[in-house]
Amino acid sequence: MQILFRTFVASLLCLPAVTLVAQRWARARAVASGVFVLALLAGAAAAGLGFWCGAAVSLDFSAVSPFPFALSLDRLSAFFLLLICVVAAPVTLFSATYVERHYQGARRAWLWVLLPLFLGSMVLVVTASTAFAFLFGWELMTLFSAGLIVVDGDSEQRRHDLFIYLLMMHAGAAAVVAAFLLFLPGAPGLGFAAMRAAGAAMPPAMRSALFILAFVGFGAKAGLIPLHLWLPRAHPMAPSPVSALMSGVMIKTAVYGFVRLTFDFLGGGPAWWGYLVLAAGAVSGVLGVLYAIAEHDLKRLLAYHSVENIGIIYLGLGAGLLFLAHGAPVWATLALMAALLHTLNHALFKALLFLGAGAIGHSAHTLDIEELGGLQTRMPVTGAAFLIACCSIVGLPLFNGFVSEWLTFRSFLGGATLANLPSAIVLPLMAGILALIGGLAAACFAKVYGVAFLGRPRSSEAEHATEVPLAMRASMEVLALCCVTIGVAPAFVLSPLAATINGFVRGAAMPEEALSLARVIPWIAVVVVLLALAATLMRRAARLTPTWACGLPGLDSRMQYTSTAFSKPLRKVFSQVYKEDRTVEVAPTDAPYFPVSISYRSVRTTSYERALYRPVMDAIVAGAYRLRRLQTGNIQVYLLYIFLALVALLVGMRFV
Amino acid sequence: MGLIEVAATKALASSAVLLFIMVLLMAAAKRISTCILLFSAQCAVITAQILAMAYVHRSPEAYAIAGLVLTIKVLAIPYALSRIVEDLQAPRDVTASTTSAQSVFIASALILLSFFAIAPYARELRVDEDMLAAAVALVLTGAFLMVSRKKALMQVVGLLVLENGIFLAALTTTFGMPLIIEIGIFFDLLMGVFLMGLFVFRIRDTFDHVDVSKLRKLRG
Amino acid sequence: MTTALSVLQVVLLIAVAPLVRGTIARLKAVIQNRRGASVWRPYADLVKLFRKEDVVPTSASPIFRMAPRVVFAATAAAVLFVPVLQGSTFFSMAGDFILLVYLLALARFFLVLGAMDGGSSFGGMGASREALVSTLAEAPLLLGVTAVAIVARDMSLSGIAHWTLAQDPTRISAVHALAFAALALVAIAETGRIPVDNPTTHLELTMIHEAMVLEYSGPSLAWIEWANSVKLTLVLALLVALFAPWGMMMSLSVPGIVLAVGAFVLKLAVLALTIAVVESSIAKLRMYLVPDFLGVASALAILAVVFTAVMR
Repeated sequence: MQILFRTFVASLLCLPAVTLVAQRWARARAVASGVFVLALLAGAAAAGLGFWCGAAVSLDFSAVSPFPFALSLDRLSAFFLLLICVVAAPVTLFSATYVERHYQGARRAWLWVLLPLFLGSMVLVVTASTAFAFLFGWELMTLFSAGLIVVDGDSEQRRHDLFIYLLMMHAGAAAVVAAFLLFLPGAPGLGFAAMRAAGAAMPPAMRSALFILAFVGFGAKAGLIPLHLWLPRAHPMAPSPVSALMSGVMIKTAVYGFVRLTFDFLGGGPAWWGYLVLAAGAVSGVLGVLYAIAEHDLKRLLAYHSVENIGIIYLGLGAGLLFLAHGAPVWATLALMAALLHTLNHALFKALLFLGAGAIGHSAHTLDIEELGGLQTRMPVTGAAFLIACCSIVGLPLFNGFVSEWLTFRSFLGGATLANLPSAIVLPLMAGILALIGGLAAACFAKVYGVAFLGRPRSSEAEHATEVPLAMRASMEVLALCCVTIGVAPAFVLSPLAATINGFVRGAAMPEEALSLARVIPWIAVVVVLLALAATLMRRAARLTPTWACGLPGLDSRMQYTSTAFSKPLRKVFSQVYKEDRTVEVAPTDAPYFPVSISYRSVRTTSYERALYRPVMDAIVAGAYRLRRLQTGNIQVYLLYIFLALVALLVGMRFV
Repeated sequence: MGLIEVAATKALASSAVLLFIMVLLMAAAKRISTCILLFSAQCAVITAQILAMAYVHRSPEAYAIAGLVLTIKVLAIPYALSRIVEDLQAPRDVTASTTSAQSVFIASALILLSFFAIAPYARELRVDEDMLAAAVALVLTGAFLMVSRKKALMQVVGLLVLENGIFLAALTTTFGMPLIIEIGIFFDLLMGVFLMGLFVFRIRDTFDHVDVSKLRKLRG
Repeated sequence: MTTALSVLQVVLLIAVAPLVRGTIARLKAVIQNRRGASVWRPYADLVKLFRKEDVVPTSASPIFRMAPRVVFAATAAAVLFVPVLQGSTFFSMAGDFILLVYLLALARFFLVLGAMDGGSSFGGMGASREALVSTLAEAPLLLGVTAVAIVARDMSLSGIAHWTLAQDPTRISAVHALAFAALALVAIAETGRIPVDNPTTHLELTMIHEAMVLEYSGPSLAWIEWANSVKLTLVLALLVALFAPWGMMMSLSVPGIVLAVGAFVLKLAVLALTIAVVESSIAKLRMYLVPDFLGVASALAILAVVFTAVMR
């Protein structure tokens, strides 16, 4: 175990140099990618040993660094490391071919150098056992991901979006740093073990301040509404494999940080923490999926779905906090299991979805689903993998998304047994919100898959799309297999997850409910598959004809439903959320019933910038202008400021 | 007489639930005739309740009140209102300023509010909490109907529902008011309905509509 | 023995499903003063369709033919959780109604995909309308059953049935009344009956389900129609099991089985008559009034859940 982990860390450190050297020769590049994948598999093995067998390991670099810098792998870190490696390995395999075909020269070199560094920073974050290491990795994550975004091109709009990304990440990091610094009085070295002990002894006011800072800081990184503005701007800008890593893995590190700080160090808190997290999760879940429904750029749509799934994860975390506050540790374990399992599941299927988007972009040269169609017959393997990912993200049974959503539902239903009246009402009602989110996600992905892969191609690009090369196909197949495995036989992940949570929630035990689902689902899978197979085997050859459509002649691909048309009923029902600005122009205007052309334009203004951010920005700028009056330019006034500061210090020292 | 006794206790126990259901249905209803029917059903439930109470407390006065409620509120007033609706020949929908779903949400909130409001009083007065909550819910729903429904006739129906609630509250807490006062209230109601009927025709003839929200001359 | 009976009740439900559809159609005809088709008509239709050949659009992918079979398989698997003749079911676990609802969601997802694969405007139209209706119907469905489960203190359908069997049938509980009202409205939406969707329409203006299956023919259409009937019967059986399970067998005995079957048939007949009367007396709602309809169901379901705590 120690050897595996050390090898993994060492290889991640050496890989950038290796890939840089290997850039000149194609063979060397392929070998380097292979080594990269192998290193990630080693990491996955180490993490697996830690997660399933409970083996722990630690690496201390404090000798070579000015601040305490150490890595350690307890069960929670092992779980997240497993998540990172299991997702990164297929993504790297995909990138080997994808980057080969789409990037040349310096940009390709940059990509291959930054990719292991990016992964290394994420590994650092989840395995850090001192605050310094954690924060170092945290900031590096932002830096390297920004570098990877820049690789994909430059323009005014891209620079603006990148600036927003960096700004919000930095603001979030500031909150996280502040949260860690609050531990200073109790844990001078800011090592995680010391922080855990300090957290237990903290006064309630400081705990609440810590919680708020952690919530805001990690929430900004995770993409909770209203701190999500950077997500739909940054994730679509990156190359597809990098988007897969950002959406699948990077935002999960925020979940890791939040769980570490709130559950491990602080051990839960009063009920209002749970209500706050539940509210944030509910709002992010519903609004995220509503915004996604209105999108037809595939990557932006997937980015908004990440917001939605983070909302679902936070719903589970909020339920866990509420259960801990009301003294029900077994239910809290179930809720946390649900949240953590959904973290893993989302990483898997979101990475698969982004890789599918990369494959579509590779073959059809466009990511606007309004231009796609009929890709299933042209790209069967990609289509099948994408379908599995769609079923998983919707949360349909026999796929992994269902297991975590079922566990979340079950923990909400368990809330009805609490003695505390408000919680006993709120938790079951959250089940209704989760059902609404699930229904909306189903509508959205039926639209995405139906418009992009089914029916007839809507552009010549889509018509001439071909299947992607072997490496890209294999990576998608691996991820799809993981989704189905967890969906059909979840027991092998559930028991170690319970043991993980046991590690930091006192009084926890393996909840019965989780086991009962694990027992029933394989049988249901058998029943469904057998019935479907029986029905399929009974069939005879079919007769192929053009689409009937009630006998309408001359059907062309333009007469199919578009993505905008599909989402229209939902957009109309939820029009308060969208506030669409819609213009329809018919030409010629003097004969409106015999149009030559009709143009339709619909602009949505997600009003966070106007309603929330602009007033805050204006207030800050106004405050800054008022503060300017302190800058008189007179040197004696400045000396007066220094003199006053000195006097204040002297007086203040008397009271400390 | 065991069967009647059982029936009486069952009627008392279930009537609160039936009244809540009817409050929600009335909030969701889209036609005036449905509202009138629901009002009639409400009064029937209240009649059953009075009969049950009369049997349990063995009071002949209560039988008389039950008879009055039956003739006037279950039969006479709804019949009069339906005749008015027919003769008006106006569109039969309840022009509401809130949709069905919003109305049901508001009615649910009003029901929960009534539970919340009567909690201390029910314990003090030692009465059935559900029944008193149903009474307050009827009052609030009647007021809500008057506020959100724009047809002139719906103002009447709202007022009648409100009066139902007050009557039920009196029934629950003090087991009814003296018979003379009851008779007086009933005749007031009857007069009110007939007057309203007359006025509705006058409004329709003068303005050619019965939409209350368009009658805006009541300002200085 | 209980397992054998559980399997029997699953087979019974799936086999009887087309008969329920035929009965509703026949009752509607009688109410509307027509002669109507025989109640066995749906069986004749299924046999006819299975004997024909599948006509598949040239542009369609394998999903087109796979979808009806997955729809039927998922709907049939969902039947495993519903108590019909006895309180116990083949599979029963706390929270199994969530699995049931999501199996129906799986069936609906693939039906929508099959509709989109047809490549005509009708498929997309039916799919987008179905997406709207099912999205808004899921929350009240889950919340309604949740409310009943919380009162019964048992989160499995068979547990709820057992608990209700032990209750007094003449006492009306507020939570059950509200949950029944919400679930009745959702049942209309889920099974595609008037006022949400007209199952016998041929006008694209009024189609939801019919538009989705427009391109299907032969055995594929047979599987979809059968799955539709099974879903209708399943929803009705669910309503019966949750709110009026009296008559189900408590212990195994031959008179018990006869009584259980008779009670089940009687209750299905009553529900079929109610549906027929409702369908004949109310007009179909305009498409954008359906969210309002489902909003009422949601409000009732939410109130039911809140009442579980208020009226403890």
